[in-house]
Amino acid sequence: MAAPCSRMASRPICQFITNVRRTGLKHTGVRQISLGSACRAATQTRSKTESVASPWKLYGAVCLQRLPVISQERNPIEDQFAELMHQMELERSLLSDHEQRLLEDSERMTRKQADNYDSDEEEADYGGQETITAQDQEDTWEQKLKHFQPALRDRDVGGTPLGSVERCLGDSLVLLVQQTVGKETIWLLPQAQWEAGETLRQTAERGLSSLPEADFKATFLGNTPCGVYRYKFPKEVRTERCVGAKVFFFKAFLSAGSASQKEPFLSAGSASQNEPFLWVKKTELQGYLKPPYLEKVDRFILNL
Amino acid sequence: MLSCLVYLRNSSPLPLIWYVVLHSSLMGVDGHVSQGPWFASVLTLKTSAPLRAEPKKKKKVDPRREQMVRERLKKKLKKLERVPPELIPIEDFTTPAKYMDETRVRGAPQLPFEESERRALLLKEWSRYKQTQHRAEMEAVGLAVEAQREALEELRLESEELYQAALRPDPLLFPFNHQGPSYTPPKAQYEAPEGKYNNITKVYTQ
Repeated sequence: MAAPCSRMASRPICQFITNVRRTGLKHTGVRQISLGSACRAATQTRSKTESVASPWKLYGAVCLQRLPVISQERNPIEDQFAELMHQMELERSLLSDHEQRLLEDSERMTRKQADNYDSDEEEADYGGQETITAQDQEDTWEQKLKHFQPALRDRDVGGTPLGSVERCLGDSLVLLVQQTVGKETIWLLPQAQWEAGETLRQTAERGLSSLPEADFKATFLGNTPCGVYRYKFPKEVRTERCVGAKVFFFKAFLSAGSASQKEPFLSAGSASQNEPFLWVKKTELQGYLKPPYLEKVDRFILNL
Repeated sequence: MLSCLVYLRNSSPLPLIWYVVLHSSLMGVDGHVSQGPWFASVLTLKTSAPLRAEPKKKKKVDPRREQMVRERLKKKLKKLERVPPELIPIEDFTTPAKYMDETRVRGAPQLPFEESERRALLLKEWSRYKQTQHRAEMEAVGLAVEAQREALEELRLESEELYQAALRPDPLLFPFNHQGPSYTPPKAQYEAPEGKYNNITKVYTQ
């Protein structure tokens, strides 16, 4: 508290002002000291972590999902309920303009076909114009609709290969690749090893872009990893420095303008060694991923 | 006599009356001009000159008057501004008159007992189905959140720097747009037909 005391002595202007200044300086003095101690403590911890390298290798992986393109088929109960709702809404509604017009036209037709039909009286009301009935309009609209052919909903009847993005349009698909980890080649989510100077999200992006023959445009959902898989290396490979590896997963959505419209590999339904990557549903993951890996990955892949 | 008159004219701004009084006292009680015709012309000269000068007394009153007028106008403007703006009517909340027409009412059908029973049972089953669906969704979301929390914990154990980088929000993520699922998949190279429409929505300004 030496500094504030000296300042106090050099300004004997007025008792009140010096009192105020004293209290103000005292507070700032206290704050400065406390900040200094906190800073020193933080730097100490930082240096500690840097000096001790962690024994885990870091990997960044990406869980790239293609969201569903078409709506799913309805369950029987959903079907029934939708029908019931439609019926109830119809019963509780009022007549629309179009329906009123239909009723009027039908009444006019019945009046025309009656025996005591006075055409002059009718045409006087409507100015003698040739009116297009609402029924005729409906027919023209239906004809127009028939001319339009929408794309088919279920294209999987032909058995699209697993490598194609177009399969199972009603579900969200996850990208799987075959990579060599250690001695074996296994199916897993695309990953890359972390290099110093980049964030884990950048590692995941690098892992995605480094895939051979595939350029996917993905939107990463934030900087936070959504899951982690930690495993220890087999005892032969383990050293003092690296005991195992931690894989951090990042979620991404496949954006619409990606160049995945290329010719898919023409192979059979089951995966073969030729295919570089697969698009699988959540239920199909079990056939490709190892159980401990699947256990961790299954949690953050939402099938909603 | 003339020289002293000249002196008086040039010095100070004396009013018109002074000059006339001086002359009448000089001339005599009866007031008739005795010095000749040039005296009358001199008189007229002296009376007309001060008339042309601007009266200086009125300068203070005019700005004050103008100020008062301006203040009155400003007060009127303030009174007008204090009126609250007219509320914009919400057109969705007022049912248009043509829907109150009785001819539009659809005949209410008489449901048989079985039909009403079937409907009630279906509604209950639907609520049960939705409940299980909701529970499953909540569980799935809970698992995902738990997975993320574990990931952040492990990352923190690894390195503080990466952890802080992970916590930072991504400014480029929003606004995020995605086309939701439709009933049929999009057709490749489809040209939508051109259409036109008349926009008749009423725009209100306050």
